Amino acid sequence: MDDIIIAILRSGTPLVYVTLAGVIAQRAGIWHLGLEGLMIAGACATILGIVFTQSIVLALLIAVGVCMVASVLFWFVVEKLKANQIIAGLGLTGLGLGGTTLAIESIFGSQAAVSAPFGLPRIGPLFGSFGNLSILVLLMPFFVLAFWVLLRRTRFGLRLAAAGEHPFAARSVGIEPSRIRLAALVIGGALCALGGAELAAGSLQFFSQNMTAGRGFMAFAAVIFGAGHPVGAALAAMFFAIVGALGIRAQLVFGDRVPHDLLLGLPYIATVIGIWMSARLRGGAKAISGFGELRDN
Amino acid sequence: MTDSLVSIARALVFIVVALVLCAVIFSIAGFSAELMFSAILDGAFLRNGALNHALRWGLPLFITAVGVAISFRAGYFNIGAQGQFYVGAICAAFVAEWTSGAPAFVVIPLCFLAGMIGGALWALWPGLLRLRSGADEVITTLMGNFLAGLLLVYVTSGPLKDQSGSGQQASSRPLDAAYRISNSLGVSPTIIAIAVIVGLSMWLLVNRTSFGMMSGLAGRNPTMVTWQGAKLWKVGLASFIISGALAGLAGTIELMGPNGRLASGFLPAHGFTAILIALVANLSILGSAVAALFFGGLASAALYLPVIAGLPSSAIDIINAAIALFITARSQLIDRIMRFRSRANG
Repeated sequence: MDDIIIAILRSGTPLVYVTLAGVIAQRAGIWHLGLEGLMIAGACATILGIVFTQSIVLALLIAVGVCMVASVLFWFVVEKLKANQIIAGLGLTGLGLGGTTLAIESIFGSQAAVSAPFGLPRIGPLFGSFGNLSILVLLMPFFVLAFWVLLRRTRFGLRLAAAGEHPFAARSVGIEPSRIRLAALVIGGALCALGGAELAAGSLQFFSQNMTAGRGFMAFAAVIFGAGHPVGAALAAMFFAIVGALGIRAQLVFGDRVPHDLLLGLPYIATVIGIWMSARLRGGAKAISGFGELRDN
Repeated sequence: MTDSLVSIARALVFIVVALVLCAVIFSIAGFSAELMFSAILDGAFLRNGALNHALRWGLPLFITAVGVAISFRAGYFNIGAQGQFYVGAICAAFVAEWTSGAPAFVVIPLCFLAGMIGGALWALWPGLLRLRSGADEVITTLMGNFLAGLLLVYVTSGPLKDQSGSGQQASSRPLDAAYRISNSLGVSPTIIAIAVIVGLSMWLLVNRTSFGMMSGLAGRNPTMVTWQGAKLWKVGLASFIISGALAGLAGTIELMGPNGRLASGFLPAHGFTAILIALVANLSILGSAVAALFFGGLASAALYLPVIAGLPSSAIDIINAAIALFITARSQLIDRIMRFRSRANG
């Protein structure tokens, strides 16, 4: 039993961090499809940081910095240049995936995986068989709680919701929605960096190209599934992780009778079902972003 | 007229902005941006036979892009072209396997039919989820891409596995030469004819039929279309099916033309590039043809870079992604300049 829980925590934790980034962006009125790109940038920067600085703190700072700068770029394109959020988000994701591959190739001369000598600090033997999990796993529930407080119980959270839901009303009481969105995206960037760091340096200690494999998009789906609520979205992310872990378990049980590659698809199927259920439960989802604007110009 | 001039000017300006961003990224990564761009330019447009290469990559991209444009016009973000492309190719490969031995004039049309149906079905389920339940198609089609990728891995390492192959990449048994519609260079009269037929028929569909009219309106103002008595869900579902069928058609062309077999994870950037082509062309069919040639050239440069120039091919992915980041941007400045010019001229 322990090993299933460990597997779920390992695959779920990166997802939760990235999901929180999606939640804060969504509440500020931005549908963030660039999560995948920020996550892989965070993963790559963490491993490269460890390799070159031999310090986990510096590596994390580099990763957070890279993702924040990329978030500012995304904010500029979406907010100042009024680009379509979906397409610009996919572009940011493409930049993350391509940029990390290019970085690996230019530094090491090949696209092979890069391994780091050590990863994130472990939570220690105090936790028994869970001792090998990284401290980001332990911190994850506190982050979720802190986000709930931030979004639901602070002035900033209220402004964020105002900027997202009624930008015009927000502006009329002296809140600049554009600045609030910048803050939301930059905080989100830092979280994506942590998610990427946990993915690459939590238990694996290596980076390989495209290693996020759609986790950023799953996090985005968890935001919708969780109705933009930090706790709900985090639970949705854990649900996807549970399905994934059960798929791996099913492989061990059924062996060759069920094709291995199709079991790997279970989290994606769960995501589709999650989106479908949330649409059913809450009535038809609003179109994420109007397309009229894209065509009429 | 000015409107389309404005949009062309805007696209060009933001492509330049995207290229500047790429130059910054290349320099940070330690490559000379000048060297990189000249190699890309050479590989894409200047070397001997560049047009042939651009056509080889551009024609299937054009077909997929037309499908993307049709669903985007109707207001649906079907970004699952990659998955529909894969499933189309997989279905065609199965039919080719089952009918193996029959004459080519039977097998080839059947494969094309299967490819288009496969692609259409892979677009149908997100379409149904969207139109019946309101499940957001952005996520469902994205997940469809990942699922189709896994399906391709399964098919090429399971049912259709080429036992003789010893390469690292799993692939299916090669198609009989009689069933190929082009050699591995990938430009043949058949493929050009298919692309021309698709382009013409879809141009007519969009510009000369009530479906084209209604779907264009549905993308801008769905409420109005409903009020006019049109069945919004019919228009929407048809857009999903057409876009999926066209992506499946492109997958079939890649299978029966240049590739000759399925390989796991082949052409992973096809769908994304097709979306870019449709957007750069501002969702017009004719514009897509021009843009497809440009991005086809870039795609051919992705092979040219590592082999001939010794530079990483991910440079092309970065250029495409940077263009995606900026292509829907609207700058007030450009609009103002263009409006000023048109006033001065008029």
